[in-house]
Amino acid sequence: MSVFTEYKKEIMDAAHNERIRLALSRAIASYRTNTNNALKKFPHTIKMAEEVREIKENAISEMEQLAQQACEAIEFNKGKAYIAKTADEALKIIGELVGKGKLIVKGKSMTGEEIELREYLEELGNEVYETDLGEFIIQKLHSRPMHILSPAIHVPKEDVAELFSKITGEKLEPDIAKLVATARKLLREKYFEADIGMSGANVVAADTGTLFLIENEGNIRLATGAPPVHIALVGMEKLVPTLGDAYKVAEVTWRYANYTVPSYVSLVSGPSKTGDIEKVTTYGAHGPKELHVIFMDDGRTELAKHPILRQALYCLRCGGCLYECPVFAVTAGHFGDKYFAGIGAVWAAMIDHNLEKAASLAYTCLTCGRCKVRCPVEIDGAEMVVALRKLIVEGDRLSQPDLAL
Amino acid sequence: MDNKELIPPGLTYLADNIASKDNILGTSKGTGAKWAKELHLPKQMETIFFAGCGYQYNSELESLMSLIRKIDKSAVSTELTMSLAGFQKKLGIDASGIYRKVMTRGSGADAQPLRDAVKVLDSLGVKFGYLADEEPCCGGLLYFIGLHKEFAKHAQEVYARLKSRGIKRIIGIVPSCTYTLRNLIPDSIDGHDLEVKHFCEVVSEGISSLELRYPREVKVTYHDPCQLVRYLGLVEEPRQILRAIKGIELVETEWTKGEWATCCGGGGGFEAVFPELSQILAVNRAKELIETGAEIIVTHCPGCIMQLKAGLKELKAGGVEVLDLAQIVAMAMGV
Repeated sequence: MSVFTEYKKEIMDAAHNERIRLALSRAIASYRTNTNNALKKFPHTIKMAEEVREIKENAISEMEQLAQQACEAIEFNKGKAYIAKTADEALKIIGELVGKGKLIVKGKSMTGEEIELREYLEELGNEVYETDLGEFIIQKLHSRPMHILSPAIHVPKEDVAELFSKITGEKLEPDIAKLVATARKLLREKYFEADIGMSGANVVAADTGTLFLIENEGNIRLATGAPPVHIALVGMEKLVPTLGDAYKVAEVTWRYANYTVPSYVSLVSGPSKTGDIEKVTTYGAHGPKELHVIFMDDGRTELAKHPILRQALYCLRCGGCLYECPVFAVTAGHFGDKYFAGIGAVWAAMIDHNLEKAASLAYTCLTCGRCKVRCPVEIDGAEMVVALRKLIVEGDRLSQPDLAL
Repeated sequence: MDNKELIPPGLTYLADNIASKDNILGTSKGTGAKWAKELHLPKQMETIFFAGCGYQYNSELESLMSLIRKIDKSAVSTELTMSLAGFQKKLGIDASGIYRKVMTRGSGADAQPLRDAVKVLDSLGVKFGYLADEEPCCGGLLYFIGLHKEFAKHAQEVYARLKSRGIKRIIGIVPSCTYTLRNLIPDSIDGHDLEVKHFCEVVSEGISSLELRYPREVKVTYHDPCQLVRYLGLVEEPRQILRAIKGIELVETEWTKGEWATCCGGGGGFEAVFPELSQILAVNRAKELIETGAEIIVTHCPGCIMQLKAGLKELKAGGVEVLDLAQIVAMAMGV
């Protein structure tokens, strides 16, 4: 079967799955209500989103300098920082830091999914626990995320109960509060036993080297706070010049991600330290003794050269567009590759270099344009998809989009 | 090297028709213009009405789509997208035969929105012509599926043909044709100077002085076509028209209206690649619209009309009608 035929079968199976449709129709209704209420309560967000668009536009043009600057800042803070040109380089750096036989607790990271980090670490002989509840469910189901923020958006509570019953060996009812408590119990000790905690970052301030981690569950605080080592993998598009810029990006991100106000935002700039005994700075007080940050390019600086497709790099990963996509509403992340829907087609082509998959996704986009109406930074999904179709069918060299113009 | 084989074949089939027959369905020249035969519109005018492929071939499209959907749902569906044209041959489906059958049955009864649009423009005192069998296909589909070189070439030809006839202004009605003529073709032409307006803009400018009354009291909802609302930015015009008609109560969906309108699932050839999925989306949209309690769904795009009708049929919502805005205005004018 060709890639397209196989893909078409997959999305049609999804489209016939009543549970996916039910789960999504509930999620969409609640997303719209929550986000509209959040924007009503904090109306300054809309103006701030315009500023963020400008911040991102400028930052994407100077990702390499910002990465350099952030590395220097992190080193100054006594962390270690690295720039990985490719996915393989990123894996190699992390692989060498981790080694084998380690227990790792991980926060959810789409950049990690992009390079299949968990699978790589497991192959090296490590035990990896996804700690985000949705991601934990996905890991245990041997499935893949179906939404960038809510990876298990397509799994109803009955299926979670069945899964957790299998893991714990006791019969669990599909009672959401009890299921959440079960996950808490299963993971609690792992944070303190773990050798390494891993995370991504929602945005990074280059001037101070500060990573912003937005969450509600508290798993990221534990995973990046309890183990002796914290490793963060960050796509270079997450960099902005200043701490002030990063605050704005963070606030707009969580508001459009329907969080109104998230329970936790962690700012991490260096390893844990204390000077409380004789003013002698000592590293590894209560938090990690080591902080390693890997800034990964993996095609991003090339993508930034394309006048239309570069918009994909402005993405804050709030996930709002997905709730407005009529195709996503019936197929979930099956309309996707590592990333989803129309913008996912761009990532499939430019980052994953999977042209056939990219074409399949690009021609699944309705080019209806509603994603742009939702997007806080006005990414024009339809415009990108049409430009991508042109790139694909006219056979321009995707790896060098500058030559394609 | 190019990758044209990566375009789903349903789309290449339509694109080939533009190249070989100058319309997306590949019917013979002039078939589409039949709707206007009795109207005796002049060809040589500075302002022309651009009918586009969609409405002219709507009845053919509906038959073809229902056929495609049946095949898509059958066990052999995955093969369909491999080659639509080839598959039609394999199953012995004669597309042009279907068109012929439909044409002899009623000669484009589904082109009613076009006839009504002409009557409305006439009543508003607009002087315009119609190119009939010489009207080119706008070629917009070529652009949307990524064949930009072919599109640029086609755009040159379209522009040259229009200019050679001394045309200065175009009134479009199909949203995608209008967007193509107004936004895409000018990008391919140096010194482009054709003025392009959409039918509903012309109507909304002209109706303020008119007494408009729908034949009966009725609740209607309005479905915004994607290209009309998000590409051409025409949010208020259709609503202003509907509100100006006595007897019509406009009831809208709570959220999915205007720029937030949900696509009917018929965007840019999508229905030719994913016929069954396209129908699922049509049902979803039709459901949103009938929840308003409307008796008529008014829209303004041949693709949307086809999709929404299919959606209502699947929902067994037989009591709800789908009408084009042009039909509503014509009825309200009594023309």
